Amino acid sequence: MAGEQGIRGRVWKFGDCLDSGNIDGVMAGVDPEFRKKVRAGDIIVAGINFGMGSSSEHAPRSLKDAGIAAVVAESVSNIYLRTLINLGLPAIECPGISGFAEQGDELEIDLKSGKIQNLRNGQVKNFPPFSEHAIGLLSKGGLIPYLRASTRSAS
Amino acid sequence: MTLSEKICARAAGLSKIGPGDMITAEVDKLYIKDLRFAKGEDPRGLYGVFKELLNAMGIHKAWDPAKVIINFDEQPARTKKRAEGQLTARKFQEEHGATIYQGEMGGIGHNVMVERGHVRPGEFIVGADSHSCTYGALGCFSTGIGFTETVGVLATGKIWLKIPQTMRLLLTGKPPPWIWGKDIVLRIMAELGPNGAVNKSIEFGGEAVKDISIESRLCICNMAVEMVALNAVFPPDEKTVEYVKQVGDGNFAAVHSDPDAGYESSRVFDLSEMEPFVATPGLPCNGQPISGARGTKIDQAFIGTCSNARIEDLRVAAKILKGRQVRAGVRMVITPASYGAYFQAREEGLLEIFQKAKAMVTVPECGLCVRPSLAAGEVCLSSGNRNFSGRMGDREAKIYLASPASVAAGAVAGEIVDPRELL
Ligand code: SF4
Repeated sequence: MAGEQGIRGRVWKFGDCLDSGNIDGVMAGVDPEFRKKVRAGDIIVAGINFGMGSSSEHAPRSLKDAGIAAVVAESVSNIYLRTLINLGLPAIECPGISGFAEQGDELEIDLKSGKIQNLRNGQVKNFPPFSEHAIGLLSKGGLIPYLRASTRSAS
Repeated sequence: MTLSEKICARAAGLSKIGPGDMITAEVDKLYIKDLRFAKGEDPRGLYGVFKELLNAMGIHKAWDPAKVIINFDEQPARTKKRAEGQLTARKFQEEHGATIYQGEMGGIGHNVMVERGHVRPGEFIVGADSHSCTYGALGCFSTGIGFTETVGVLATGKIWLKIPQTMRLLLTGKPPPWIWGKDIVLRIMAELGPNGAVNKSIEFGGEAVKDISIESRLCICNMAVEMVALNAVFPPDEKTVEYVKQVGDGNFAAVHSDPDAGYESSRVFDLSEMEPFVATPGLPCNGQPISGARGTKIDQAFIGTCSNARIEDLRVAAKILKGRQVRAGVRMVITPASYGAYFQAREEGLLEIFQKAKAMVTVPECGLCVRPSLAAGEVCLSSGNRNFSGRMGDREAKIYLASPASVAAGAVAGEIVDPRELL
């Protein structure tokens, strides 16, 4: 799962300030056809304020269900970022990502070291590495499986 | 440490924390809206997922029912989904315990939380709705959480959080009369821009704060999530203490920032010369002085939502509507934010003023904030917090955000005007 080995996937690019209404139904508010084009393991690259607005989990779950491997954005709303990680989908804030990755590029992401490599040109970009706690959650597949496992063994 | 950092540190049982630290905090209070119990986000529903988790963990009870507050945001429920959510919430209460606000005890959850004394300075509060940031107006740390996090808090009482940088927003100068919280926050958001406070903690300060009412502070903090901030807080002062004592048992421990607290940045907003503000459709940060939008024709005027429909707002609207009529062709809907505000307004004769002005007064609930009321091409002037396309109906409808004073004035004029022209 995401936390253990690197994530490698193909890029779909989106713009700034996409609120959860636009993201719901696998980005249906921006591109109603996207649901058909996307493949499991793909990566969403977006601009600022990804997932702003409502705290409803419909939108982040739709990305998870479509098999998106990671979301990398200039910035991600806090509720959204925590929700995606709690669902087992890494959401990464990486200023400058819009200029670094183009549609169709392939990226390799390492959460532990905070590195993104663009396999088209070999360039590398850094982001604040994920904490052990976040990687722990992701490697279990999200908060609920994490709690199921950790508390059972603790008690 | 800053006020927010201090509250987070206390909740995490640590003596010192700073930006970037990952903490696991113990929650003082959890707010849950009824809709979160509906089978929507997960086919098993929140209670179903929660029960499965408890089973797996080998425990039988929710963490601390005395700290769980549930509110019915729409009454009576108008969808099967909502009705099922409310029924499940009641079942949860029976089996695990919790405080539920419904019927004439209720209204919009965020307002009920504040008015029923559940929000106290110094507390660490999370809410299963994005506008839970509202409570920071009373000097507590408060933020919205998602479905999965809510299940986690119900089971463990804990939540993980990365401590953000704190931005200090200093309000100076004496705000002119007829400048309200909504005007101030729309201006701040416009100046900060869409990326201005993303995932920051906001702390207000400056000498103008003492002149800003608690209700206006609640409106300002309500919009923190529209700035994509994690939380926003007003340091508790005499006004806060007086308010909290009036609504609750007066039992709290106020927290203040240390003199050497580290802020990522500081910005000053001089309120002395400011004009009422309005946000044009699309984003709440599209604010501009109201003169720039003057003359925009409207089809609907709405005073409601957890952002602005408190008693202060209703009094202001009544001042404008008294002896006047809503322009023919404009629908005006006034939805008090809570039964507390509704009853108070009735006692003061405000509801009668609204009705004589031909505004429709509805029962307290979220109402048109989430229920589609706009057709393609229609324009609404709203005291709410979100003007995203499609928020109140058709995606081709337009939503302008402004203070209740400006909404009332717009309803009378049939177009956007400066409310001070009607005084
Ligand atoms: S009034 Fe609107 S923004 Fe506030 S809680 Fe209800 S639906 Fe959400």
